[in-house]
Amino acid sequence: MRQHGPGRWVLLLAALFVSLAHGQAEERARVCAGCHGADGNSLASGVPSIAAQPGVFLENYLVLTREGLRGSDVMQNLLKGVPDADIVQLARHYSVLPSRPTPGARDKALYARGRSLATSSRCGSCHTPSYRGQQQMPRLAGQREEFLLEAMRAYRGSGRPGGDTIMAAALYGVGDADLKALAHFLAQSR
Amino acid sequence: MQRTAIAALLVFGFASAQAQDKPAPPPIWKQGIPKSMEKSTLAPHAAKMTETPAADIPISRLKLPKGFKVEIWATGVPGAREMALGDKGKIYIGTRIIGRVYEVTDQGDKRTSRVVVDKLTQPSGVAFQGGSLYVMAIDRALRYDGIEDNAAAQAVDMTDKFALPPQQHHNWKYLAFGPDKKLYVTFGSPCNICEPPPEYGQIRRYSPDGSGMEVIARGVRNSQGFDWNPKTGELWFTDNGRDWMGNGGPQDELNRLSKVGLNFGFPYCHANGIVDRDYKKKDPCKGVTKPVALMGPHAAALGVKYYTGDMFPAAYKNTMFVARKGSWNRDRKFGYDVVNVRPSADGKSAKVTPFLTGFLDSKKNEFWGRPAFVQQLRDGSLLVADEQLGALYRISYSK
Repeated sequence: MRQHGPGRWVLLLAALFVSLAHGQAEERARVCAGCHGADGNSLASGVPSIAAQPGVFLENYLVLTREGLRGSDVMQNLLKGVPDADIVQLARHYSVLPSRPTPGARDKALYARGRSLATSSRCGSCHTPSYRGQQQMPRLAGQREEFLLEAMRAYRGSGRPGGDTIMAAALYGVGDADLKALAHFLAQSR
Repeated sequence: MQRTAIAALLVFGFASAQAQDKPAPPPIWKQGIPKSMEKSTLAPHAAKMTETPAADIPISRLKLPKGFKVEIWATGVPGAREMALGDKGKIYIGTRIIGRVYEVTDQGDKRTSRVVVDKLTQPSGVAFQGGSLYVMAIDRALRYDGIEDNAAAQAVDMTDKFALPPQQHHNWKYLAFGPDKKLYVTFGSPCNICEPPPEYGQIRRYSPDGSGMEVIARGVRNSQGFDWNPKTGELWFTDNGRDWMGNGGPQDELNRLSKVGLNFGFPYCHANGIVDRDYKKKDPCKGVTKPVALMGPHAAALGVKYYTGDMFPAAYKNTMFVARKGSWNRDRKFGYDVVNVRPSADGKSAKVTPFLTGFLDSKKNEFWGRPAFVQQLRDGSLLVADEQLGALYRISYSK
């Protein structure tokens, strides 16, 4: 399913690629803002928020994506050749920006089901009880709902390489209705 | 609409990159956590995968016995684990998550490094014999002939010969060539605690071309280091104890393979005869070979090497250095050091003494480095790989 967007986007992506490979860290952050929001809080469907993510998680994600070991084709292309020092700076930059989620209306029943599933699945044992993440474990609280759902579906199908196999194992056999409830609850969490 | 287009690209990109067809294993992380520890916040420590400049490494905090000194020998090798010494002195280094194998060249006053291969799945195992570098990842076995002279040497793919099982957990490899010129490889148990499927939980040896496979040790949980006693030729190996049985252990093991085919107890019998809480059978320790030495609770005793050089005092000759990467499944951190292990004359016991310390601040319960593997150089000095900071330290001795 390697898809290419309309031509306009390809051109824009090419431009972003050039500035990421040759720009300074601050310039690079402006490139990130194009999709992930000026303050790292994404308003774009399917694009994750990166503000207030743990610095170690961001750093690891950026390195592994640059190395071609995880992440989307788009992110892999954007990160080609970016030096470690800039990756460290970018990770630090976004890790200290505040999370400003803009979830839609809360479905009380779905939220309650998601909360109960998150508790019984012990998501908090790694992502912390507030789901704000820690160290290498990403923040889930306030993340975009449709992104969470797609990411969990990909993990469940083993189609999404992570730092290791823990998420694929954690979501093994979890049904779609449960994933939707989890995504809704986590997106609504602060 | 345009937003949606790029969003679709991103999401599908996640799904398609490195797609795997195999179904996920059942949730291994649920195994072995008792009710009483469900609220525990203990978790494996985060790896650091970016370069750490020498100036940011607090090397002066390290302590050694009198007469020894330690220096930063190489940096810029994030995730450095097992090292293999080439015939001409180049050092090859495996990694796990970052997926690279490095080559480090000693230029006299400094060291340079390059990436030999990348984008592999946990290529932690490296070994060198007859001018060739051998690399093993979870799902790949590669050989690079003449690589010390030819940086462009292409990999000979030997994956089909080695019958590597698919599970990743505890199956990042450690490998080395034995005195018999055979290639010895660890195959861990793919869990914290389980009855491992038949192709896991063992140490094997092969002819260098992958033929003639033999299982030489069973009942192994996760061994990440072995070496041969220079006097007896026996294989000694480390094995990490299970998690979620409390701060006390069961302790990691240092084992001796006095003959082929011994059983080392996993998952029923741990350390010096601790019966497993979750996997029970009648006479769980019957026929189990007990460790020669206990290496500490959750210490992560990984690399082990016999010292055969002439630089260190004679008392160190034919003793072992064991790197303990340090604990995660324990409230008070433990390990984060290199210890010296002196076997008794009959090889049935051994004494463990601190050697390189200072990575751990016990009062603050914080660490800054994680010594994971050791490698003796031809001048008799000892390299230590710090997996956390991606650096190699060199320990030398002078009177």
